[in-house]
Amino acid sequence: MSSNLRITCGTEPKRGSATSPEVVSQFCESLILPFGFFTPTRGILGELNMLRGVYSLLSDSEHFEFESAHHLAQALSDLDSITIALLHMDSEEFAIWCGLGKSDARIHLLKLIKEMQQARIRVQGAQLQLDFAKNQPSPKALFRSLTQLALVGVACDLRQVQRAWLASTRMPLSKKWISQCESIRVFTGRGDLVELGASAFAFHVKWKGVRKSDPAIGIARNHLVMDVGGVRRFVELPAACSRMEAGSVRLLKNKFEVDFSVKESEWPRL
Amino acid sequence: MNDERDENKSTSDLGSWLISMGAPLSITELMPSEITGLDVAPIVSMLGGVGIRSGLRQADTAQTAVDEIRWLHIID
Repeated sequence: MSSNLRITCGTEPKRGSATSPEVVSQFCESLILPFGFFTPTRGILGELNMLRGVYSLLSDSEHFEFESAHHLAQALSDLDSITIALLHMDSEEFAIWCGLGKSDARIHLLKLIKEMQQARIRVQGAQLQLDFAKNQPSPKALFRSLTQLALVGVACDLRQVQRAWLASTRMPLSKKWISQCESIRVFTGRGDLVELGASAFAFHVKWKGVRKSDPAIGIARNHLVMDVGGVRRFVELPAACSRMEAGSVRLLKNKFEVDFSVKESEWPRL
Repeated sequence: MNDERDENKSTSDLGSWLISMGAPLSITELMPSEITGLDVAPIVSMLGGVGIRSGLRQADTAQTAVDEIRWLHIID
């Protein structure tokens, strides 16, 4: 999927001119306004620290600038973290509370979630360019950043990366490095639950070269979390996993497996 | 430093955050505890660019995030 969006990584992002996305202001105000007091939301939003880039991703600009590929990956990771937190916020209790006529908070909450999801799709379809004129990482750090981008679902044009590197350093990237980068695959964010026995399951997640990326794997409610150097990707677990206990993770060359054992008291089986 | 920590702590759930924004103290009595216990750290982080700690907090034990990431043991 392509979009009209261009993203440049490696340039100093413009600061100061960014305004808070309206959808964020509306949500914050809808939480506060029903109680009849003045909200300093706009003032707070005016002092925003844009370093993490989440607001940039939510803007409707046709050109985003990030300091580096790592910063883009981190911003997408943060966007996902916030989206999941907002999805959790959309609980039954929240809906009931909003349904009491206190506010339009749920409408604005859902609108914000939708815009975040659309922003993500837009970024994945963007034309990405890396520039090393101002920010020159080591080949090792660059490889790590490209891995992090792949983890959050963004592919890089390796030929463009090589050209940009050569233009700024006058030194080509090594064949070994290029070969390793060519093996990076965009993570699709899916997995399969496999039954191993009467009460033993494993959740298999494929990602080429996952062992080399040395991820941390965790569980947050109904999501599996993959963390590579602080950049996180969330994989929704099947509903059945909510009544299971997660065990160890086996890290293989191109996939990892998370053990799950059934809590019989919560899920009696014949 | 302690003040800073206290400030972060006091605005980490929705009820406290609304009060810090100027809402009357009685606001928490008007809202279900599940709502007041919501961790707004991710939202606040959007406002202030600080770290992300997503999730819900149990209303009765505000210090325990019910969905903090539980990191798993990895076998190579």
